[in-house]
Amino acid sequence: MRTTVEDRVVNVVNYILLTIVALSTLYPFYYILIASFNTGTDTAQGGLFLFPRQFTLENYKYFFSKQQWIEAFGITVLRTVVGTVAGILFTSLVAYGLAKKDLILRKFYYIAVIVAMNVSGGLITYYVILRSIHLLNTFWVYVIPSMLSLFFLLIAVSFFQEIPAELSESARIDGAGELKIFIRIILPVSLPLLATMCLFLGSGQWNSWLDSAYFVQNNHLRTLAYRMMEVINQANMPTDAQSAQYTAQAKVTSFSVQATAMIISVFPIICVYPFLQKYFVQGMMLGSVKG
Amino acid sequence: MKTNTNDAMRELPLNWQGDSLGRRFKKQIAFQIFVWFGLAFLLVFSYAPMFGILIAFKNYKISSGISGIFTSEWVGLRYFRELVRDYNFPNLVRNTLSISVLKLIFSFPVPIILAIMLTETRSAFMKRFVQTASYLPHFISWVIVSGMAYAFFSAETGLVNNLLISLHMIDEPLKILTDPNSFWGLAVGSAIWKEAGWWTIIFLAAIAGIDPMLYEAAEMDGAGRLKRIWHVTLPGMKAAIVSVLILSIGSILGGGLVGSNFEQVMLLGNSLNNDKSQIIQTYAFNVGLAQGRYAFAAAVDLVQSVIAVILVVSSNAIAKKVAGSSLY
Repeated sequence: MRTTVEDRVVNVVNYILLTIVALSTLYPFYYILIASFNTGTDTAQGGLFLFPRQFTLENYKYFFSKQQWIEAFGITVLRTVVGTVAGILFTSLVAYGLAKKDLILRKFYYIAVIVAMNVSGGLITYYVILRSIHLLNTFWVYVIPSMLSLFFLLIAVSFFQEIPAELSESARIDGAGELKIFIRIILPVSLPLLATMCLFLGSGQWNSWLDSAYFVQNNHLRTLAYRMMEVINQANMPTDAQSAQYTAQAKVTSFSVQATAMIISVFPIICVYPFLQKYFVQGMMLGSVKG
Repeated sequence: MKTNTNDAMRELPLNWQGDSLGRRFKKQIAFQIFVWFGLAFLLVFSYAPMFGILIAFKNYKISSGISGIFTSEWVGLRYFRELVRDYNFPNLVRNTLSISVLKLIFSFPVPIILAIMLTETRSAFMKRFVQTASYLPHFISWVIVSGMAYAFFSAETGLVNNLLISLHMIDEPLKILTDPNSFWGLAVGSAIWKEAGWWTIIFLAAIAGIDPMLYEAAEMDGAGRLKRIWHVTLPGMKAAIVSVLILSIGSILGGGLVGSNFEQVMLLGNSLNNDKSQIIQTYAFNVGLAQGRYAFAAAVDLVQSVIAVILVVSSNAIAKKVAGSSLY
């Protein structure tokens, strides 16, 4: 291939634009990171761009000394673990049922799923229902309503149908029940599916804040994302009421604590992200074929 | 079905009754039960709220629970009349439509352009690096994105204002987070930042499916890089572009591809930019949960759903006429 002038110009312009894209995506993360390691009062002076000027661990110490943040962290970890496991197991169990080739009433079940996927009664009636079944203000409001992911239900059905029938047939002849076959045979050969679900359901649980803000009043049940929202909202207040709150800690400001909370909540995602990248591209493609 | 029966009869002649409906059902009872769990779930968390929308036409008290949905008295279109007379209503409709349409116009081309740029890179490292970076924001919450918006744009401590003031480009800090007139731009911009990279996945796959022979042929005919993009890459992406466009028009009131009108307004909206930030959905939510006017709020929700359905159906019809493909 010859390189023409046009080629070179396109290459250079492309490099520059892509670099800008990468920088504008990553720099906000980086800025939050250095702000979390810089003394809050110094950050407030402005001019912090590339490196922490007054390196400190005070923000993290402050974060982990506050009851509300520790509690929120614990609840978030708990809901993510319980919610993700429950979501994966329940969704794939229902999918295993639906994947049965000659399932009676299959068409009806499918219509029920497709309608539920596309029609919504809105948040208000959803709230009314949650309230009437007494899920409001309990830990389970984080877990139970999100146990069935319809999107992954459809993906899992087509995944299970690809699994050769011989695999479960021999176990069935040995007299194993369907639940046992599902747990012992189907789940272990579905690891790519489970990993994809784990990533999406897990990040959904980890990031969720709306349920914590509106479906729960008990302050001991608040999640990390909710606490962060609280701090950000206070900081957004036109009257600068929030500064008084932190004067006890000389070097910590509401912004530096907020940056710390953001880093702590982004950290697990960044850690697992590179390993699961191939799965989420897969998941997106599966989804788009369905969509 | 017929051949199945025949096969079974040939193999197990004594067991031919096994294929009667009742016996078949008994044999697959475990699978049926698994599905019923799911069905029960849908009944409670999807279908009950759908029927619950009846309260938009009723004098519903929250204390009456689920049965109250059916037993409370009808009030006809009372809440809809109230909504239309509400002084917020014109604003709500304007904001909902403007934010949605602006998002569609400005966010839709971004992943397409980014995907083309990524394919045109000669460096595999650069491609991989930019891809990995640009998918990342998809996995963080809107709470964090709004925290970043605060870190960068706040009038007191925001990085952007700091920088511009120290460079003497402005004298007064820009009130990006509180000025009503900057909200639409903030919403569109932050949504693109968060989601555009993610959607390149689909367009990259579409480009990967283009026959390399087409590029060679175009090159032989003397087409340069830009001409090849225009005449080979873009036409090759047409199917993907049309189907993503239809999908995003279908969900336009939620924010289209980049989504999350609701979360954005909940998090970036505040008492100062209310005028331009409040949308139908957030209004319903706030009125319903903060003031306890559940029936009225359900009516507001229903209005939004009806507008959405009209948009989906009409966009689908237009797509059918123009591009010859549609969702249904």
